[in-house]
Amino acid sequence: MTLLSLEGVSVSFGGVAAVREVAMRIEAGEIRGLIGPNGAGKTSLINAIAGVVTPQSGSIRFEDREITRLAPERISSLGVGRTFQHVELFRDETVIENVLTGLYRHHVYGLAPAMLGLRRGAEAQARREAAELLRMFELSSFAHARAGDLPFGIQKRVDLARAIAARPKLLLLDEPVSGMSEAEANAAIATARSLAHERGVTLLIVEHNMRVMMRLAERITVMHRGRVLAEGTPAEVSADPAVIDAYLGEVAHA
Amino acid sequence: MLGAAAVLCVAPLALGSYQLYLAQLMMINVIAAAGLNLLTGNCGQISLCHSSFMAIGAYASALVVIRTGLSFLPALAIGTFAAALLGACLGYPARRLSGLYLALVTLGFLQLVQILIEEFPELTGGVRGLSVPKPQVLGYAIRSDFALYYVLLGAAAFAVFLADNLQRSRFGRAFNAVRQSAFAAQALGIPLGRTKLVAFTLAAGFAGLSGGLMAVAVGFMDPTEFGISTSLRQITFIVVGGLGSVAGSVLGAVLLTGLPEFLRGTQEYADLVYAAILLGSLLFMPRGIKGLLDDLWSLRLVRKPATP
Ligand SMILES: Nc1ncnc2c1ncn2[C@@H]1O[C@H](COP(=O)(O)OP(=O)(O)OP(=O)(O)O)[C@@H](O)[C@H]1O
Ligand SMILES: [Mg+2]
Repeated sequence: MTLLSLEGVSVSFGGVAAVREVAMRIEAGEIRGLIGPNGAGKTSLINAIAGVVTPQSGSIRFEDREITRLAPERISSLGVGRTFQHVELFRDETVIENVLTGLYRHHVYGLAPAMLGLRRGAEAQARREAAELLRMFELSSFAHARAGDLPFGIQKRVDLARAIAARPKLLLLDEPVSGMSEAEANAAIATARSLAHERGVTLLIVEHNMRVMMRLAERITVMHRGRVLAEGTPAEVSADPAVIDAYLGEVAHA
Repeated sequence: MLGAAAVLCVAPLALGSYQLYLAQLMMINVIAAAGLNLLTGNCGQISLCHSSFMAIGAYASALVVIRTGLSFLPALAIGTFAAALLGACLGYPARRLSGLYLALVTLGFLQLVQILIEEFPELTGGVRGLSVPKPQVLGYAIRSDFALYYVLLGAAAFAVFLADNLQRSRFGRAFNAVRQSAFAAQALGIPLGRTKLVAFTLAAGFAGLSGGLMAVAVGFMDPTEFGISTSLRQITFIVVGGLGSVAGSVLGAVLLTGLPEFLRGTQEYADLVYAAILLGSLLFMPRGIKGLLDDLWSLRLVRKPATP
């Protein structure tokens, strides 16, 4: 079953065309990689899917439902979650509060019970779930640390745990392991992967590290200058002359 | 906790009548500050018209008593509800605004409420003010300042209870989320507009309750009491006490309420002192007294290092 499909999606900022006529299909349960040189338009594409930017043209469908012009919170509540390339934590809150905020749409209770303190059951459940997520991401020892005080790599893990707390069906991960050591990255990816598998979450992962990507993704989409350059298994993509050219070209420029 | 409660309960026995009056004003300001802190401290929305919602609560509840003869408590509830309703009416368009535009819109609302009070003197007493009858609770007239003190103490305790619960609920988290990262909040399914609207409505409701109580505590309504300087004072309370913290609202309101009374008669000077305190606090104590106390407390505790 196709979970997400994009057709002719274009995004531009003023004169800059960040995404051009992108078509893409992601099957339910898939782990899809999205790679491309700097400025290829990967983050812009994720922002378009999440509803943060509105495409100039094209259509984005999630579970056979047009989401192209929906508000980001609507898209999120339909089951599309995301993390941020440059983490967007609630910096003044503790790590556990960040994850609890991710549970906003679950363990729901109304305003009056909230004010009268009649929500202990739901709160206790939420706290248990948050604590469990912290444990899985090896964040338990930071539970009561202020999120903004933590090193970048740990903030990335909090971002990931918080996104998973929202129980998405499709999770968009924008360079989730940048700033982590190789060992941290491996652990975080193993956790994300097994959680995705367990909960049936479909992943779209943007990642620069080809080694990580080769191990993780089943299929890879390559973007270059806003367009989809190639798509296939990791082996196919890494052998594609156009892809090699794009990356080598980039290296030559650098 | 219990000790503080005991002190608050027996305090009026030891206070002179002027001090008792100050204690009453403290309770009133605690309620208003707790509401404003939800909107500004937690949700991050500036409001320059908090005093207008106090005015709405004050005039609405007093006029209900005067015109319909309804007793104090239902009138207070009506005043609170009226303020919350108008808070929602303002919050609906204002939920899309922030920063300077929001400040200007709330300032405009403040002016509008002032003008309406002054333009309908046959109803509100206009610039000459309005006397408020002594409140009747459950058939008993509250004549002594003593009894009124306990009514206000109960109301303030209730308001603090509500604000504290709210802050530690999913709604409090949503407020904090909207303030710190609108992007992340939305990505987690938190509706920005609706969350701000809830914050505006609640803040106005707290202000309305506070205003209704103020009307009976002061016994007379002077429309100039609901102007911009009262709004700025409320902001000073929460900044000095600690933004986003219920304890901060209480600390700020209690500690600073005495100030304008000590500086009475020199109104401009009082505003100046307030402005200086606000600026000083913003510059040197951005997390307020609550933050300072937290820091002092943590110095004594051996904290785990942030990285293993
Ligand atoms: N908000 C914005 N305003 C203007 N231009 C933008 C904006 N966001 C992205 N761009 C431009 O769009 C193009 C694609 O940027 P994008 O961030 O999507 O690339 P990316 O593939 O995520 O790159 P990176 O690997 O560096 O994260 C770039 O040229 C960038 O400068
Ligand atoms: Mg990017």
